[in-house]
Amino acid sequence: MTTVVELPTPTVVAPRSRRRALRRVLRNPLAAAGLVVVVVVLAAAALADLLAPYPFDLVDFDATLQPPSLAHWFGTDELGRDQLSRVLHGLRVSMIVGVMSVVLSLVVGVPLGLLAGFYRLLDPVISRLTDTLLAFPFLVLAVGLAAILGPSLTTATVALAVGLLPLIIRVARSETLRLREMDFVAAAVADGADDLELLRRHILPNAVNALLVQATVAVPLAIIGEAILSFLGLGVRPPIPSLGVMIASAQPLFRDGPWLAVIPGVAIVVLTLALNLFGDGLRDALDPRELRR
Amino acid sequence: MGRYLLRRLVESAVTLVLATMVVFLGVRALPGDPARTLAGEEADPVAIDEIRRQYGLDQPVPVQYYRYLENLARGEMGDSLRTGLPVTETIRDALPVTLQLAVFSLAVAVLIGIGTGVVAAVRRRGPAEWGANTVALLGLSIPNFWLGLMAILVFAIAFPVLPASGFVSVFENPVESFRHLLMPSLVLGTGLAAVVMRQTRSAMLESLSADYVRTARAKGLSGAQVVLSHALRNSLIVVVTIVGLQLGGLISGAVVTEQIFVLPGFGKLTIDAVFTRDYPMIQGVVLVTAAAYIGINLLVDMLYSVIDPRIRVGGAAL
Repeated sequence: MTTVVELPTPTVVAPRSRRRALRRVLRNPLAAAGLVVVVVVLAAAALADLLAPYPFDLVDFDATLQPPSLAHWFGTDELGRDQLSRVLHGLRVSMIVGVMSVVLSLVVGVPLGLLAGFYRLLDPVISRLTDTLLAFPFLVLAVGLAAILGPSLTTATVALAVGLLPLIIRVARSETLRLREMDFVAAAVADGADDLELLRRHILPNAVNALLVQATVAVPLAIIGEAILSFLGLGVRPPIPSLGVMIASAQPLFRDGPWLAVIPGVAIVVLTLALNLFGDGLRDALDPRELRR
Repeated sequence: MGRYLLRRLVESAVTLVLATMVVFLGVRALPGDPARTLAGEEADPVAIDEIRRQYGLDQPVPVQYYRYLENLARGEMGDSLRTGLPVTETIRDALPVTLQLAVFSLAVAVLIGIGTGVVAAVRRRGPAEWGANTVALLGLSIPNFWLGLMAILVFAIAFPVLPASGFVSVFENPVESFRHLLMPSLVLGTGLAAVVMRQTRSAMLESLSADYVRTARAKGLSGAQVVLSHALRNSLIVVVTIVGLQLGGLISGAVVTEQIFVLPGFGKLTIDAVFTRDYPMIQGVVLVTAAAYIGINLLVDMLYSVIDPRIRVGGAAL
């Protein structure tokens, strides 16, 4: 005869602790400021068509290389295109590529990490694949993929996702290794839970915190990665205004229009700085060790 | 210990073989027919078939891969499609440039990173910690290619005190070499400095709250002695490892930095090869990068396990 012992599973606790963590993040002034900037940039990028004072590709040969003014807050480029409108659309590209590449790496990486951590037989295979991907530095891998697939927004997203994949697989794997030894997992096994249920209901929800922290680190990395790929001519191609493309095309105009290189760069820095501030706050709030310090 | 090292060695060898497969298959996945590229646009089908036979491109893929490995073992990576020079020779010429840039950048990263990390840990909750944290956050948030352009804008165009581009070997003219590499290495080093600073701060905080530091203070040692000879010394183990593991990031950063400052190094070679579809060169540079990276990781892992036997497994990569 078997005795069934009902044990509270931490899957119920996790969302509540995350709500507490979010409250802790909002009490941290720097992290809260970061979150506000990220939300504002997200909104501005989403509403770029409404907010932009001019169409991003409107050429005006009567207003070429204008420094910042009331009519053109961020100035104009060598074709008279309004830089504010282009920065707003560029931020949209940055956010899309940044978020989509991280989502893609999570969608592929989390199941692989869970399987590697859960099944000892699969671990060496998946770990070797991860090591092989890690053997190619992030940018070298992205450059190689862009060479195979040809430069485009999709290529940049896929290349960055592949570059981020090893980080995600490693975190998911180490969390699974840690969690599968926990008592609540043993209790679920005793309760007759199958592997899929263990992974889906017990391990994954408890690995979310670590994955969330990793994702907040990965988004600014991906945004900078997109800017680099586009700057090198391997990512988003003109006329789509990526911030990296804008900086690249400003290079020959350094003396006549320095603002063309300065402003898109400042936009990237503000966005990544805000994401890093929020990410740091989130990590501190979710990591009890940091709280004790 | 011996078994651990042997396991790591075997793992690294397997990863290296897998990396050769990725490079081999990756280059074959590139758009376009390499035989047609080698023969030139105007070549007739007979000449293209001849080249295909000559380079073994008509053989099954596993046979081609075996031949590729055979050539690699002899140190042959083919000739560049762009210059006609052997790939091995071109890589050998470019490596010293990147190595000098890497060494200078590492020096910048270690000096700034460890210095600010120690200050941030010792002077907690004061302006010093705020300052150091801000520098670290900016270092992580500013894309180095943009920082490089801004440096050129300020130090080469607005106030022309440093050269904007070019390379002079340290063995030819050390002063000029330093002047040419100062901007690129500061630009490349700051991102790494931010990572080193955070790790140093975190490791120092851990050390400063340890029992042996309390004992050292109780013995009557001065604050500086406790920080430098006790806490920092123990924290350096972690920091050295992190620096080793970040070398891949340095290689990535060098690709862009060399492009901006027109340094004829490994990174510039990589980008030029991609743009000119110089397949043998792409194959060569990517494989050498991967091999170097695998080698460095193995070395760091071994050092790590020797210095601190409590830590095993390669999970320390950040």
